[in-house]
Amino acid sequence: MTHRKSMLTVALASASVALASAAAIAQEKPPVKIGFVTELTGAWSFFGTSCVAGLKVAEKQLNPPGKRKIEFVIADDQTSPAQAVAASRSLDVQDKVLALSGPTSSDTGLAVYGYAEQNKVPFVVPVAAFPQLTKPGTRYTFRLEPDAVGWGYAISKFVEKQKPGGKIAMIYSDYALMRAITAGIKYQGPRSGLKIVADIVFPQGSNDATVQAAQILAAAPDYVVVSGAGGFDNTITNQLLDLGIKPEQIIHPFGITTQVMNWGKRSVGSYYGTFFDSNLDSLTAEGKAFVADFTAQYDRPPSYGENFCYVTANVIREVIDANPEAADDREKFRDAMSALKTKEKTSGVPIEFDKNGARMEYMYFMQMTDVAAKTYKAKQAFYIEWDPEVIPVYTLIK
Amino acid sequence: MSDVNLIILLSTISTGLILGSIFALVAVGVTIVYGSIWMPNAANGQFFVLAALLGWTMTVSWGIHPAIAALLVIGISVPLSYALEYVLVRRFYDVPNRNISYFVLSLGITQILTGIFSFTYGRWSDQFQLPPLVGGITFVGPLPVANNRLVVLALALAILASLFALLRYHRYGRAIRAVFQNRDAAALRGVNVKASYSLSFALGNAVIFAGGILFALAYSFDLTVAWTMSITAFAIMIIGGPGSVLGALIVGMVFGFTQAAVSTVASPTIAAFSYLGAMLLILLFKPSGLFAR
Repeated sequence: MTHRKSMLTVALASASVALASAAAIAQEKPPVKIGFVTELTGAWSFFGTSCVAGLKVAEKQLNPPGKRKIEFVIADDQTSPAQAVAASRSLDVQDKVLALSGPTSSDTGLAVYGYAEQNKVPFVVPVAAFPQLTKPGTRYTFRLEPDAVGWGYAISKFVEKQKPGGKIAMIYSDYALMRAITAGIKYQGPRSGLKIVADIVFPQGSNDATVQAAQILAAAPDYVVVSGAGGFDNTITNQLLDLGIKPEQIIHPFGITTQVMNWGKRSVGSYYGTFFDSNLDSLTAEGKAFVADFTAQYDRPPSYGENFCYVTANVIREVIDANPEAADDREKFRDAMSALKTKEKTSGVPIEFDKNGARMEYMYFMQMTDVAAKTYKAKQAFYIEWDPEVIPVYTLIK
Repeated sequence: MSDVNLIILLSTISTGLILGSIFALVAVGVTIVYGSIWMPNAANGQFFVLAALLGWTMTVSWGIHPAIAALLVIGISVPLSYALEYVLVRRFYDVPNRNISYFVLSLGITQILTGIFSFTYGRWSDQFQLPPLVGGITFVGPLPVANNRLVVLALALAILASLFALLRYHRYGRAIRAVFQNRDAAALRGVNVKASYSLSFALGNAVIFAGGILFALAYSFDLTVAWTMSITAFAIMIIGGPGSVLGALIVGMVFGFTQAAVSTVASPTIAAFSYLGAMLLILLFKPSGLFAR
């Protein structure tokens, strides 16, 4: 018995020494720096600041003892492509980051993409959705968010299921993101047996849609795809509802928490696309903890933007844990990202990149069921997964 | 005419009226300042957005009723304008060709305010929507119109009418107009020209603030509306005739209707620059503006 006890003590001591040594080695190495270029000011800052909020929640549990520390160096791109390139260069040359990440706008994302591909810096895109971020020949860029032309494909499939042979009207702002979504609808809609009865585009900075809402009404669609930029989204939605379009006819291609709450009770019954939602039935235990933690900290539930930034941090952690040598070698990090096969810790959705760094894509469609002061309820109405090149996403929009 | 076509026609008219009255308000504000102190105020769009942002903060963050918030916002513009006039604007009163100096000065103010708004409010730029002054819908024929917009239209027209009456019939208004026409002659007739400058600057900005808060009550907005409104107000002032309040009022209404009509028959994208094309065309034939003094 005494001998057994001694053996056990020796084994425990050895294990402790081994763990302590591993921890010491991990601590000895400098932290792995990731440059996070995002929109903290400027037109897209509502998205960039939300993204950083998701990242901050991830950072709380990202560096447990014994693991090589990962440090995110955050830089403001001011929603300016030129500033995004300047910040990328600074992070690359001065901070010597392992990889870049962070943009939530397609315009700044494309600017960082150009820098990253040219200078062979791995670039993990959390949210930006313009297809050309993973165009054929892309080598160093990996995008977590499905591309926006694909959203158009998903919307068409959703309407096809809801109302075979249905009529769609589109009313949207003239931004790269919206053009990409509607390009997908225009391509896939007719192939899904749908008829596009109105296609109304507003220039940037528009504020009124009264007349266009009346034109939509005149076209008598079964569904209206509404995608105004920023607050204009509310204006279009309200003006459609004023004229008698029913909430159940409205589909927003994407819905983040603040948007859904701004649409308000009048929009209960309408649909929105998303890639993560606090109301999903499929949330994992970590997903539920993320929602609870984020809500406690920011007084509102997180949406897909925050989730993608949370997931980005975790994906980088997973890649470095599985490939310690990738922490100091950009090529090895790129190879490890390319070979990654995992799942989102928050929702269990698979993460896998194709040869161009595009993710195997998916989308949820939620239907709003209630809106309160600081939260909302929605139920899942449709889910779809697809191959990134199920439709010619890279030629439909450039 | 079918109900649907009638709805489109009526919606064009209602949009033209609401947009036109707000355009007219802002252009009149810019014109009063320019006509009086020769300041082409490029910061008018930022003042317009400042009013909207203050209204949003008061109603959404502080829970103040939108009607009270609107009054407060317009009230705040007066001490702000006097402070700005005292610290910066009056230093140029005796500078020859001061309109160039003023233009550069107002561009500087524009840049500073743009940076401040972006830094302080940018993160909420998808949420700028004020609660309505009143709820409910009124049917104008087959067209349902939100009561809130009807109230905004009525207020905008009432402010324009009051302004017109003030400038035409009140002694302060007459003094401002006298300075507009000939400041030396006005001084000889006993008008305190520099006091009139201060009053014009405050009055013009108060009208721009009124335009901003009414716009925010009728529509959601974002920070980019500052540039759109700034260019629109200048275009209206130039076509109407710099310094002509009547010109700004009439051309502002015409701009609103033009935008609504072109966006109906062509597209919103063409409507957005159609009136700028019209401006160039009019200036080809009447470079001094339609209602030049």
